[in-house]
Amino acid sequence: MKRNVSILLAALLVIVGAVVAGSGRVTSEVPAPPAIGATIDEFTLPDVDGQDRSLKSLKGKNGTVLIFISVQCPVSNAYNERMQKLAEDYQAKGVAVVGINANFTEDATAVKNHAAAKGLKFPILKDAGNKLADKLGATRTPETYFLDANNKLVYHGRIDNSQDPAAIESNDLRQAIDSTLGGKPVEKTEAKAFGCSIKRA
Amino acid sequence: MRLFRTLLTVGLIVLLSSFAVPAQRKGSTAKRSTAVKTKVAPLKTDDLKALLAKPKDKPLLINFWATWCDPCRDEFPDLVKLDKDYRPHSINFVTVSLDEAKYINSSVPKFLTTMKATMPAYLLDANDPEPAINAVDQRWQGDLPATFLFNTQGELIYKHFGRVDIAELRGQLNKLVKK
Repeated sequence: MKRNVSILLAALLVIVGAVVAGSGRVTSEVPAPPAIGATIDEFTLPDVDGQDRSLKSLKGKNGTVLIFISVQCPVSNAYNERMQKLAEDYQAKGVAVVGINANFTEDATAVKNHAAAKGLKFPILKDAGNKLADKLGATRTPETYFLDANNKLVYHGRIDNSQDPAAIESNDLRQAIDSTLGGKPVEKTEAKAFGCSIKRA
Repeated sequence: MRLFRTLLTVGLIVLLSSFAVPAQRKGSTAKRSTAVKTKVAPLKTDDLKALLAKPKDKPLLINFWATWCDPCRDEFPDLVKLDKDYRPHSINFVTVSLDEAKYINSSVPKFLTTMKATMPAYLLDANDPEPAINAVDQRWQGDLPATFLFNTQGELIYKHFGRVDIAELRGQLNKLVKK
């Protein structure tokens, strides 16, 4: 009898745990993103091998693109090739691309396997506690932040206007990087698109 | 002998059920194919702005979703139930799909039909989604699902990003209507 009660209690705990874990925080509670022009503080997060990596060690000489990405989100996956091409195109220009996975539903192994399968060769960090996502006010995947050489935020938002590469009319992220590299002001500093919500812990 | 009889009975049941199952499936497929599909209308950004424009005769509840969005699909049965409970009580409830336009006559109505959703259903027809996102709420970054409630003055009085908290939403609706 005692054993049955223990089993029942354990099962109840598992169910309650699953409900709590599944609920997570909603983006209505997420702080607003930093203003354009704000300096992004130094941060350190583990990569997919558990190795701590700092912004300082990853940043590009002329700027850094942070992209919140996902393993399962179809919108994020629609951009895999474009994200990798971005990293390749701008590496020689001194701009680094860093991926960040802040979904509590996707662990480091899943992120590592997904990157290998999809050919994502840029470093990807695991933001398990959503510390960076909260600091940057990130809510969806894919969502990008372009920081200049001094870690000042110069662009926040989408990669471009369409998941469908044939329907791209506004290459917002690339335009922001090109303007910054050319010493010109960025015309469009923020741009939105639909995406999957970040599954917060 | 008793063992033989038991085996025979079990064998007969298995044999009969193997005929019965395909017949049942066949019936349900035939029923599905004749079911009326939920219609999905295209919604231009200007149409969305007009929908949000005041004054309104009833409060407006809008849910933005997509078939590729897991929490959107997960919350849909709750929304259908909510629609049945509140639309007769002076609430306008519409859904806006953010799927690609090519799915307007296929996967989007198919999902809504499966859900038995009867609220007016739209699909955003805009190559640049940003003006639509900003027309709804400047603070919204475009993460899905997203649910917004506007009062008759056109003021945004409730919003929820991520899977909807149905008890919380019902609480908000109860403040606006008398059931």
